[in-house]
Amino acid sequence: MAKSPGISGVLSVAIFVLLEFAAVELISRTSSLQNIWINRASHRVMAYTGGIGETVRNYFMLAEQNEELARENFELSRQLEHYRNLFPEEDAKAVKGKAGEMFSYIPAKIIKISRNSQHNYIILNKGFEDGVEPNSGIVTSNGVVGIVDAVDRHYSYGLTLMNTKVSVSARLGRDGVVAPLVWDGVGMDGALFRNVPVQTEVNPGDTISTSGISDIFPGDIPLGVVVGSRTIDGVAKEAEIKLFQDFSAIRYVTVVCNPERKEIENLEKEEEDL
Amino acid sequence: MKHGLTMIVLLIAQVIVWSYFNLSQYVLLTFLPAMVLCLPVRMGTVKTLIIAAAVSLAIDFLTHGILGLTCAAVLPVAFCRRFVISLVFGEELIEREEDLSFRRQGFFKMNLAVIICTALFLLVYIWLDGAGMRSLTFNGIRFACSLVASSLVSLFIATMLTDEENHK
Repeated sequence: MAKSPGISGVLSVAIFVLLEFAAVELISRTSSLQNIWINRASHRVMAYTGGIGETVRNYFMLAEQNEELARENFELSRQLEHYRNLFPEEDAKAVKGKAGEMFSYIPAKIIKISRNSQHNYIILNKGFEDGVEPNSGIVTSNGVVGIVDAVDRHYSYGLTLMNTKVSVSARLGRDGVVAPLVWDGVGMDGALFRNVPVQTEVNPGDTISTSGISDIFPGDIPLGVVVGSRTIDGVAKEAEIKLFQDFSAIRYVTVVCNPERKEIENLEKEEEDL
Repeated sequence: MKHGLTMIVLLIAQVIVWSYFNLSQYVLLTFLPAMVLCLPVRMGTVKTLIIAAAVSLAIDFLTHGILGLTCAAVLPVAFCRRFVISLVFGEELIEREEDLSFRRQGFFKMNLAVIICTALFLLVYIWLDGAGMRSLTFNGIRFACSLVASSLVSLFIATMLTDEENHK
């Protein structure tokens, strides 16, 4: 019975592959040089195919991994919340900053924050019993949030940077000019760096940070970047700033207190009385 | 019968050439691919593969080469033989199971088929023999020189093997 061309072809390929493998195996056994080379090549092929397999496997497991990460994230958030509630007095204790720094830091949770008016405010879960004082700064790792305006026993009320009454002393770059930074009154991430001397060069991409010369905020907290500038009435420049702080997604803040403020204020008062 | 005897003589000749005539490190003189090409067309691929493997292993064993090297190089030639024949001489030759003939197929086509088979053999042989230790330039020069020398000798061998008197 004659073999069909298909079967014959498959048989030919199979015998060819078999004989070729046998020949390569013979070479590998006979010559050490070829043996090393063939082994190296086979390891490379195995690593490559293994890598492809792993990539494909990972790709199809992405959904599962995302789910796992989400579960883990939820669990960590739950544990964090648990520890926050477990040690409220520890949490409230002011943490001393770097050596020689006059500020102390109090972590706080936002109870309420307004974002839709021209005079936006914030309410925190820390009051004077926790060490919060009026005129303390409110910051996050992304920049300035606002200033504490009034303090109750367990709560404090502050004005956010998205408030036309709030002005923060800011510096252009590391050693640049110091000028007030105010909200632009439009978006959640826009601000204006005002009253910059006209001869000062302000370029898009320049960083703005806190100046450190006020008694509310420590210096060098990054605030945002310059996106554009213009001259106002030919006497001063005004730079448009894109803030790093995203006001739509903050839950926790740090209250920055200056324990030496009273001493500084007394000194100023004495000077005025003279 | 005569064809078979010619094949055995050529096999011995190939062993002698590789054992005693080391022309240069750049020249590998081989007519084994031509021998495989000139096997009767009616012979199937499986048979061709087995004959090629047996012959090449005998050559490897009798010469002081690496056992399996010639075998690994000649097997692709045996595998592709029918494809080369149909490509160069046309499908009809295989359908009619007509043996190759210099007179009928002509010098140009025979030459082309011999060059293709020899090139395939040399590519695999030189690549495996180099074991990644020789430069591409060296391998390239070796391939070119060997192809020219081997093709010339193979054409002569093919003339002998395809002589219609031989097949009787």
